[in-house]
Amino acid sequence: MCQTSSIVLRSVYKEYRRDEFVIPVLADLDLEVAEGEYLALMGPSGSGKTTLLNLVAGLDQATRGEVIVHGQVLGHLSEAEVTRWRANNVGFIFQTYNLIPVLTAFENVELPLLLTKLSRRKRRENVMTALRIVGLEKREHHYPRQLSGGQEQRVAIARAIVTDPYLLVADEPTGDLDRTTAGEILDLLELLNREFQKSIVMVTHDPLAAARASRVLYLDKGRLVDEVIQETRVSVAS
Amino acid sequence: MKYLTYIFRNARRNPIRSLLTIASTCISLFLMMILLAFFDMREDAGKANRVFNRIITMNATGFAGMVPIGRVPEVGRMDGVLATSPFSWFGGKYHDETMPFAQFSVDADSVFKVLDEFHVSESQLADFKANKDGAAIGRRLASDRGLKIGDPLPLKGDLYPVDMDLTVRAIYDGPSNRNLRMCLFHYEYLDEALKKVTMSSASGGSLATDSARTSGNAGMIFIKCKNADIMPSLGRKIDDLYRNSEFPTRTQTEEAFGKMFSDMLGDLQNAIYGIGAAVVVSLLFVASNAMAIAMRERTSEVAILKAIGFSKGRVLFLVLTEAILVAGLGGALGSLGCKAVCDFVDVAKYSAGILPVFFVPWRIALLGLVVSLFVGFASGVVPALLAANSSVINGLRKVG
Repeated sequence: MCQTSSIVLRSVYKEYRRDEFVIPVLADLDLEVAEGEYLALMGPSGSGKTTLLNLVAGLDQATRGEVIVHGQVLGHLSEAEVTRWRANNVGFIFQTYNLIPVLTAFENVELPLLLTKLSRRKRRENVMTALRIVGLEKREHHYPRQLSGGQEQRVAIARAIVTDPYLLVADEPTGDLDRTTAGEILDLLELLNREFQKSIVMVTHDPLAAARASRVLYLDKGRLVDEVIQETRVSVAS
Repeated sequence: MKYLTYIFRNARRNPIRSLLTIASTCISLFLMMILLAFFDMREDAGKANRVFNRIITMNATGFAGMVPIGRVPEVGRMDGVLATSPFSWFGGKYHDETMPFAQFSVDADSVFKVLDEFHVSESQLADFKANKDGAAIGRRLASDRGLKIGDPLPLKGDLYPVDMDLTVRAIYDGPSNRNLRMCLFHYEYLDEALKKVTMSSASGGSLATDSARTSGNAGMIFIKCKNADIMPSLGRKIDDLYRNSEFPTRTQTEEAFGKMFSDMLGDLQNAIYGIGAAVVVSLLFVASNAMAIAMRERTSEVAILKAIGFSKGRVLFLVLTEAILVAGLGGALGSLGCKAVCDFVDVAKYSAGILPVFFVPWRIALLGLVVSLFVGFASGVVPALLAANSSVINGLRKVG
């Protein structure tokens, strides 16, 4: 990596315990992700992609090893501290959008800002900026049920970027979308990476989605088995 | 405040469930308010009697015992006594009404000296005194039954084996917290009717001669005293005078007399408080169940909230506030609604003359509100703790 590392994983081992069974998921993984890098994680189901994503996002803790994100050793933080850290530094994008159905697009995007001390006016400004970036500023009063799948995912992306985090984690962000809409979402992620310098870690099964990333890592049985650095990204437009 | 939108929307998410929870809290508290207010008002009504300096003499064995009518003038002649009147509960039926109002046979000449908080026009009072079949009724009773001066007021004997064919001769008025639903009529009129029955029953009738329902019986004696200081000694003096007679007496203040009724309801009162507590517990189960279901449906949403930075405490706050909001709304509707209804609807007329007025005091309404907030809090605690401590990873259900 020629750039400064944004994410560093050192000898990360992760296992889950289910009753008397111990299930190893990640095996002594070492990884560095550069500042502003767009990383795709691929691999078969159960290979540890989402677990790796959860560790990087501070949702889960490694059984062994160190996860350092933006200079912060996540293992050293208490649960409350890591929750605060997530609120300030990480934006989440999920396959099933996970919007709150009883809130409008505006209110969904505003949710993370409720944790800040921003004034109502400032919150509104930030929400509208985020909605403008994803092209949904005219849908602010719409409830999730009044939006298409693609639009819901755009609202979810607006929610992920409204606090201006430097890291976006996306778990199969196009998994529930048709090809064209998926392309639009991937365009948006690319824009956020290129224009807004967001580091992105994306889990995907879709080679076309992975082709948008600057680097693709392949995992199998908790180990990195392949790595592809893409000098020229594929874009739907091209 | 900034979370209110989220909390309100969640509370409205499943309108039927929320409405049912609100309705169950509302109805339960409404009924509880009525019962609690009833007991509270009884105590209040007793305390309100202090200012009238009245004592009441009755048979030492209770209401069913006899107080000979001859004792009314005897007591009236004692030092410190301003006026006396016999008071016998008649309890008759008016037309087809099943709920009786308060009916007493009294001494027409002195009753408004004893019950001096009431006022009646001189001409009506004179008319009442002059006619043996005359009745003086309270303003509210007149208005409830559409009765006016000169109207017949037939009372069919229920406790007594005689009927009273009365005519309204006077309508009295008084402070709004006093009983304005009484019907007062001549003691002599009842006594004469009873004499006829007693005489005919002497040859085989079942009316016992020492019963309160025979002629010559005053039932109770209401005594108006000069001042409050002499009431205890006067009461003792009266009881001492008749201690060794055939009909010993028990004399007590009007407040103590009212309290005696409360004491008679003692066990019932405790039973009702017990039922009230059981209602609160069952409400707790209903509200807890509704909240638990609501939270189970929102597992992934809670996980999202926690993922984007909502702390355990904040999730706990959101869930608890929602539970308190739903139960509190039901409680507010039930307790404050009950107060509003009782303030606007004259419930006292359905109390068979037991209560002069009926309303839900603020302290009882607020107690109901506090109970509902407690129910909301307690019902939300477990679901809120479960939500706050739930695993984000499990909530998202996405393990790669």
